[in-house]
Amino acid sequence: MNMTRDNGLDDRTDVALLTIEREAQMSAALVRCAAGDRRALQMIYDSEAPRMIGVARRILFRQDLAEEAVHDAFVRIWNGARSFDPARGTALGWLYAVVRNRALSIHRNEHRYDSADQHPEEIVPEDTMARLPETSALRKCLEQIERPRRDVVVLAYVYGMSHGELAGRLKVPLGTVKSWARRSLISLQECMG
Amino acid sequence: MTELSDRETDALAADYVMGLLEPADDAAAEQRLLSDDVFQRAVNGWRKRLADFDISAPPTTPTAQLWQRIAQSTKTDRAAVVPAGMRGATRGATLWHNLRFWRVTGLIGTAAALIFAFLAIGSITTSKHLRRDLVALAQRKPVYVAVLVSDATREVGAVVNAFANGRVELIPLKTIDVPQGRTLQVWTLWDRTVGPKPVGLTGQSRAIDLNLDELPETAANQLFEITLEPEGGSPTGRPTGPILFKGNTAKVL
Repeated sequence: MNMTRDNGLDDRTDVALLTIEREAQMSAALVRCAAGDRRALQMIYDSEAPRMIGVARRILFRQDLAEEAVHDAFVRIWNGARSFDPARGTALGWLYAVVRNRALSIHRNEHRYDSADQHPEEIVPEDTMARLPETSALRKCLEQIERPRRDVVVLAYVYGMSHGELAGRLKVPLGTVKSWARRSLISLQECMG
Repeated sequence: MTELSDRETDALAADYVMGLLEPADDAAAEQRLLSDDVFQRAVNGWRKRLADFDISAPPTTPTAQLWQRIAQSTKTDRAAVVPAGMRGATRGATLWHNLRFWRVTGLIGTAAALIFAFLAIGSITTSKHLRRDLVALAQRKPVYVAVLVSDATREVGAVVNAFANGRVELIPLKTIDVPQGRTLQVWTLWDRTVGPKPVGLTGQSRAIDLNLDELPETAANQLFEITLEPEGGSPTGRPTGPILFKGNTAKVL
């Protein structure tokens, strides 16, 4: 098949369509999990596990810990699928919230002391921004916020940094970090609606 | 709990989704999420705004053991212990009313029917024996056929034949394991606004006649499905158990 690789618009359109399709599949799979269909859980795993590991790894760095988080997440997904309501939110949003929640829990409880200074060089907020699709409203709106205020959002959400860890990394007082976070989130909301 | 302003609720939701809350506040927010609609909406709003971060995470292949471990940890057969109550019925209804779900299902059903037809035509040229069977079958040729397929494995599980005289039969093509105390129930969705109607019950996978007497005449693109239900059939009159096989009717050529 001859796909023109330089046509970015088409590629992105495909990505958008794939996301819609993925959302429909995951939503149906969660409903089936709630009804006790174990094959639906495996379907979610087959579709999402690599990206879930990716999300957890950015918080935990280590592959084994990331897999631990994804394992815990799937146990929660299986036991909690009934609490997912398609009318109230997206399936992907729910699934990834569970993964982040588990990864953050491991990060805060078991990994708190060695994570912050273990691989600080690996964390480059600008690279993380560059991974966002160019059409992403999140990306466009973040770009309107000045650094390092904007970095607070990236470092907290993507790398799971707490207020304390952010203050340490950005070398500013805790109160400043908190006010940066608050103002950045307000800007984001005003920009994204 | 003190009443929070919209602004405060939204700020709390943002911090909760960001993962910036202290453990005690985080636990409180999680509890609040279960009962507070306003807070829930605010949380969903923030999840949506920040979702692109997750979508753009670099995928990393898990080790082969990960799924094994997950499968082990989720081994309990929840299907057997889930009470067939209202919650299950509502859930069934949600899926039944999901238009996209049925569009996709309909396409798969049509494709399966076509494959089935091709197989049948192919067989005629290869097997005299089968040909005789097919001729016999043609003499009592159904008007509509639905090939019921498993969503998960894509396996064909059963065929529904609807005849001109109104008789509708289900012919299983695969043995279905029915746990103790459970039964297979067949449903059809004739009118989405009315919802699924139970049309047959069987303890094991064997050919049965379905009862559609009280329903309008079977039509093209009518959905049939088999679910696993408590013995005696779903107590709510709506599917409560997992969908095993499903497919839409196609007109026989």
